[in-house]
Amino acid sequence: MTEHVDIAVIGAGPAGANAALAASRHGLSVTLLDEQSKPGGQVWRARSAAILDAPSTPESAAGGALRQRLQNSAVARLGDTRVWQIERTEDGWVLHLLRQGRVEQRRARALVIATGAREFVQPVPGWTTPGVLGLAGATALFKQDLTLPGQRTVVSGTGPLVFFVAAEIRRLGGEVAGVITPNGRGDWLRALPAMLSRPDLLLRGARWVADLMLAGVPIHWRHAVSTVAGDGRVAAVGFRPLDADWSPVGAERGIAADSLCLGNGLIPAVEAAELAGVALEHRPELGGWLPRRGADGETEVPGLFLCGDGAGIRGAAAAEIDGRLTGLRAAQHLGAETASERAALRPRYARAARFGMAMTALSMPRKGLAELTTPDTIVCRCESLTGGVIAAEIAAGAGSTNAVKSGLRAGMGACGGKFCQTAVARMIAAAEDRAEAEVPPPTARPPLRPVPVSALAGEFDYSDLPIPKPAPL
Amino acid sequence: MSQEFDIAVIGGGIMGCATALRLSEGGMRPIVLDQGDLGQGASGVNAGTLSLQIKRVKLMPYALKGHHAWEAMGEAVGFHKTGGYTLAFTEREAGLLHERQALKAGAGAPISFVSERELRAAEPMLTRKVLAASHCPEDGYANSSLTGQYYRGRLRDQGIAYRERCPVTAIDRDVGFALTTAGGPIRARRLLLAAGAWLKPVAALLGVDLPVRARINTVSVTERMPPLTASVIGHATGLLTMKQKPNGTVLVGGGWQGRGTPQAGRGQVSADSVMPNLALAQYALPALARARVLRSWTGFEANVPDFYPLAGALPGVEDAFVLGCVRGGYTIGPYIGGLMGDFILGREPELPLFDPARDFNEDTI
Amino acid sequence: MIRLVRDQSAQIKRASEVRFTFDGAQVPAHSGESLLAALIRSGHLHLRDAPEDGAARGGFCCMGLCQECVVRIEGQVVESCRAMVTSGLAVTSLKART
Ligand SMILES: Cc1cc2nc3c(=O)[nH]c(=O)nc-3n(C[C@H](O)[C@@H](O)[C@H](O)COP(=O)(O)OP(=O)(O)OC[C@H]3O[C@@H](n4cnc5c(N)ncnc54)[C@H](O)[C@@H]3O)c2cc1C
Ligand SMILES: Cc1cc2nc3c(=O)[nH]c(=O)nc-3n(C[C@H](O)[C@H](O)[C@H](O)COP(=O)(O)OP(=O)(O)OC[C@H]3O[C@@H](n4cnc5c(N)ncnc54)[C@H](O)[C@@H]3O)c2cc1C
Ligand code: FES
Repeated sequence: MTEHVDIAVIGAGPAGANAALAASRHGLSVTLLDEQSKPGGQVWRARSAAILDAPSTPESAAGGALRQRLQNSAVARLGDTRVWQIERTEDGWVLHLLRQGRVEQRRARALVIATGAREFVQPVPGWTTPGVLGLAGATALFKQDLTLPGQRTVVSGTGPLVFFVAAEIRRLGGEVAGVITPNGRGDWLRALPAMLSRPDLLLRGARWVADLMLAGVPIHWRHAVSTVAGDGRVAAVGFRPLDADWSPVGAERGIAADSLCLGNGLIPAVEAAELAGVALEHRPELGGWLPRRGADGETEVPGLFLCGDGAGIRGAAAAEIDGRLTGLRAAQHLGAETASERAALRPRYARAARFGMAMTALSMPRKGLAELTTPDTIVCRCESLTGGVIAAEIAAGAGSTNAVKSGLRAGMGACGGKFCQTAVARMIAAAEDRAEAEVPPPTARPPLRPVPVSALAGEFDYSDLPIPKPAPL
Repeated sequence: MSQEFDIAVIGGGIMGCATALRLSEGGMRPIVLDQGDLGQGASGVNAGTLSLQIKRVKLMPYALKGHHAWEAMGEAVGFHKTGGYTLAFTEREAGLLHERQALKAGAGAPISFVSERELRAAEPMLTRKVLAASHCPEDGYANSSLTGQYYRGRLRDQGIAYRERCPVTAIDRDVGFALTTAGGPIRARRLLLAAGAWLKPVAALLGVDLPVRARINTVSVTERMPPLTASVIGHATGLLTMKQKPNGTVLVGGGWQGRGTPQAGRGQVSADSVMPNLALAQYALPALARARVLRSWTGFEANVPDFYPLAGALPGVEDAFVLGCVRGGYTIGPYIGGLMGDFILGREPELPLFDPARDFNEDTI
Repeated sequence: MIRLVRDQSAQIKRASEVRFTFDGAQVPAHSGESLLAALIRSGHLHLRDAPEDGAARGGFCCMGLCQECVVRIEGQVVESCRAMVTSGLAVTSLKART
């Protein structure tokens, strides 16, 4: 049956969970939904039930504290719940959920969307080989299941995540065969001023790097993975030096490994916000295409609020405060007085966002990296479409991501374009010499996650089907 | 700098593109203008069903001709003539089906009723709860996603100018027409309005009021499945169309309504439509239960109150024409576009067109 | 050798071992962990064949989005990175030939 609450929050990461807590403290009824079984989001993903005990980490501690706060709050939590469609009604919102193989609805007067980010991986030959995991994705494996990607892993990608992943592999008893990062040491030096606001994180990062150096793990700065070799599983990883624009230059070298973690920064997961009716704008400094929002998470759509990395990649620390601000703003919308509380939080948010955006700047791929995608490289994993095939479609006049999707099925496969559309949009922009801001992602379509027909159909009698009058003859 | 064309076609859907091809074959120099990409309106998102069984009786001759046009386009548009079954599950539906199919067969569609045994032999995975089933060997489908790619190629091959992401925002009567577009001014001696569900606002640019409304049809597609059905499956009420593509995905439509208006941008999928639509699909094909739905979407299908096409001269504006609001317009589009082209070229169309100046509240067709 | 990041693998305590089958092969696992993790640990990286070119694929995003890790359980396709191990589960791959 449909339940009414004041505020529904989609996403129980640092942003959504804090939004829920903040609004709940003002006496509003709040439901917090997440497809993971426990709150924490990507950064503080909870351990699986199979882990009885394990050493604490900053992530597990922060996640544990958040889960405790939620436990002690009045926030209603719905885990293992996938939101697949969002509809606006006259008096609020209807969320369509998939839970335990069934669909359900929840109604709310106001909606906070905090769906976070997913990663961008520049396609390279062989990146579809089993044993290649996303760089951020690998952290999910570490946090939830304390499991390694393989015995001997190459870790490659941009920003701080590459060193975190390498350190986690070592902490969990694995071997790091090499670290390959497009960033140069100079990039990090330039980020230093912004990082000084978080000496704790700076120190933690420095330890990771020092540990790798002490252990003799080669760190290839200003390099990128250019090929993955292996028949049915990773056998070796090829990498090449990059120039200042991250174009590959110079000869390829190789490292033997059975696994590879590969990622090039994060992109906001904007589809839920799009379904809720928010327009997108292009903000490269925040990860690319974002839902347009105003102060404290408000949007042009009445009763809709956005926060966290899904509204611009600013990192977990900023997401927490952004969540609080947004939860308070949503509470204000429903009549609570939260203006002064928000005013007090904003300077902290600005500081955290500054740090986070410095990390985003380090993580965002530069133009030249796209050259790693050769004509033979699979770009659309679902439909096995190569860069060459997509380039030919663009050359034949397909000038939008929707047109490429329609013509080739790039984005019509099972992932719904989540792992090819950014690369495709950049290919269009480059080929037609247009700005990336002129090539938006394809139209978002529900369901946000695959939903079995049996769930949609539910249990029904034929006579229950609301069959309207037949069309005129 | 403004460019001069023999005719500007506003709307690069199947109607506008098919007409432009005929016009160019007839010696005119057209330009096709679309506010988005070619074939991203109804023509690019429809269910792709090419079924005589669901066509209106009076449009049957056009649909029959249209089927030949699709056959000729073949693989480039993902055309497959699979034959189709229309199912009835209740006595009432069986009565409706018999009544309707008799009229359609009378209009020339090779429709017959099949026995339970025949149906089971042809489509063993269908439910056993079928009371009556009609069959038409001419039925099939094409892949509407390919509309844009296909016509872009055809226009290019025939040297026809087209502009995408180029909405027409104003039209001035001059010597011919002066169009204001996002891509700069364009001049043309004639004008064809083929703007689908956007015909009303586009005609309003010329001060003409067309009584065009839009339905918001919903289509859903599943992940790839092992073979489940080899035909186009329909329902006596028209509220289900279903086909499995060669790649294994199953496309489910049937005119269930979403929300929104053409003016406000894309329509929204209504879960209250998708759920019974898929329930009906699963009822017909129980093994579909296991398939996961990957995408649902909507498109705007235009109509006028009598549900017959607008195809002819635009009332009150010399040298302006309109083509749209064709029920089953994807099936009929390539053919009726040709007729429209002939009409503009001053030739006698093979079948009569549908005067846009008619009284829509009378039975004039 | 000095390690600034210590190897803590020996300090991890997991639930007792159970077994499930993947295309008939026995896979040791711990109940409650993700299928994907158990499959990776036991060397089953190749979970499916890409439908268009038949190439080997396995888990990639680990967060339920990419659909590369899907397997079949009781006829239903599920993301192995989101499915939980239970004892005796029969999991089959989406490989063209098995
Ligand atoms: C895989 C991954 C791992 C990361 N690991 C780290 C890390 O270790 N350290 C770090 O600093 N940053 C990490 N990040 C960056 C991350 O974006 C953090 O900055 C932080 O998690 C952002 O918080 P958030 O609350 O905005 O989003 P998230 O933490 O991503 O939370 C969003 C939540 O929404 C849920 N959700 C999304 N869509 C739906 C839906 N349709 N239905 C139901 N639930 C939904 C998700 O399950 C998720 O729990 C990672 C990002 C990713 C993608
Ligand atoms: C979901 C759905 C399912 C359907 N299923 C079937 C089916 O199975 N079988 C069948 O035969 N028929 C089906 N139909 C009907 C069929 O799709 C339509 O009748 C047909 O495609 C209409 O073609 P059109 O060219 O008139 O319109 P459209 O394809 O909509 O083209 C109109 C074009 O005009 C452009 N335009 C609008 N305003 C402007 C402007 N100001 N400036 C420039 N360009 C402009 C638009 O961008 C658009 O591309 C379905 C329709 C829908 C919506
Ligand atoms: S690994 Fe991407 S969905 Fe499971």
